[in-house]
Amino acid sequence: MTAPDGQSAADSGDWARLIEAIALHQDRAAFAALFEHFAPLVKTLMRRSGVAESSADELAQETLLLVWRKAALFDPSIAGAAAWIFTIARNLRIDAHRRGQRGGVTEISGIDAEFHVDESPGPETRVAAAQAENRVRSALAALSEEQRRVMELSFYEEKAHGEIARILRIPLGTVKSRSRLAMNKLRNLLGEFS
Amino acid sequence: MSIQHHPLDELLTAFAAGTLDLGQHVAVATHLTQCARCRDATQLMEHVGGAVLASLPPTPMSGDALTRVQARLREPIAYETPREEPGSGALDDIPGLPAFVRRYSAAPWKWIAPGVRLRPIQLPAVSGTRVFLLKSRPNTRMLEHTHTGMEMTCVLTGCFSHEAGHYGPGDFDLGDDSMRHNVMVGPAEDCICLVAMHGALRMAGFIGHLIQPFVRL
Repeated sequence: MTAPDGQSAADSGDWARLIEAIALHQDRAAFAALFEHFAPLVKTLMRRSGVAESSADELAQETLLLVWRKAALFDPSIAGAAAWIFTIARNLRIDAHRRGQRGGVTEISGIDAEFHVDESPGPETRVAAAQAENRVRSALAALSEEQRRVMELSFYEEKAHGEIARILRIPLGTVKSRSRLAMNKLRNLLGEFS
Repeated sequence: MSIQHHPLDELLTAFAAGTLDLGQHVAVATHLTQCARCRDATQLMEHVGGAVLASLPPTPMSGDALTRVQARLREPIAYETPREEPGSGALDDIPGLPAFVRRYSAAPWKWIAPGVRLRPIQLPAVSGTRVFLLKSRPNTRMLEHTHTGMEMTCVLTGCFSHEAGHYGPGDFDLGDDSMRHNVMVGPAEDCICLVAMHGALRMAGFIGHLIQPFVRL
């Protein structure tokens, strides 16, 4: 099996198929391809979230290990590969953060539950997720550079709007309005809430 | 009844990004349990998180990282059946809470003011935000209060209103350091809210000063 080459060239569906190959027949080549592509991205996400170098490497390894173990739970009709891996990395980061605190006792399964709030999963309430990742990517590309930057920074730990304002050297009100504009634009572009 | 008051987009984004502290996460999750629109928005933001991840520049992994992980692929999978902690059952009688919150334990209701009782919820991790239920009898006029931090309120049963509007089940109210006046509980039934409070609450007025030392909000 060869890895889909290059993030921009690869359809996100290719990554989804590799995850399904792991689920169906523990495909180790598929795993290696996913690891080579996603582990370095997850590591960057961890580093930018304020995680130290060695822990970032470890958490990226753990994230991909969970991709292997949870592959059967991956449902491409709900999330694209990158979004699914993002949520795994996010939950591991929260878990690691809590373990680092005094009295932090929660287990990773507990954190998964914290994001599972929909008790009556009807398909009508789900964002139609087939190709959602590609659509979100083009929607993001359609944002202005400033709006995209505010959106991206929102995904790093503890980058509250106040801090984003400091990093970008723009007033807090500007961050808030850019964030709101970006969100509205995303919603409109995706046609989710029309 | 339809939900009129939603968390700001930046809160929904922070929820999906996983950057809220646990107490605030609980408050937003309580709203999400009842609001399909905001669930869709957070799901959308998870897709955005995926797109952000995909667009990041790679950081080289340590040399033996892949080998080390491959060596662990055959380890037995321990997490597969997430242990559903039975929970204390303390919150079973409260409608509208997310499933994971119902497993938390809670202290008994305690009296804090005429017509108002409070029940702290014990979070399983350190949080700078305290979470509690607040139950007010119909037609209670709440003490005027101000906060030094951010307060999130999600209505579970009953309703209240203040100068910014009317709040029923599922509605989400964000309070900041401005003063709330004239918070009035609706006439029909007890109003139970989940409140996540960051910073200290300050009650105004003579009664507030009198009871403040005792309720330790």
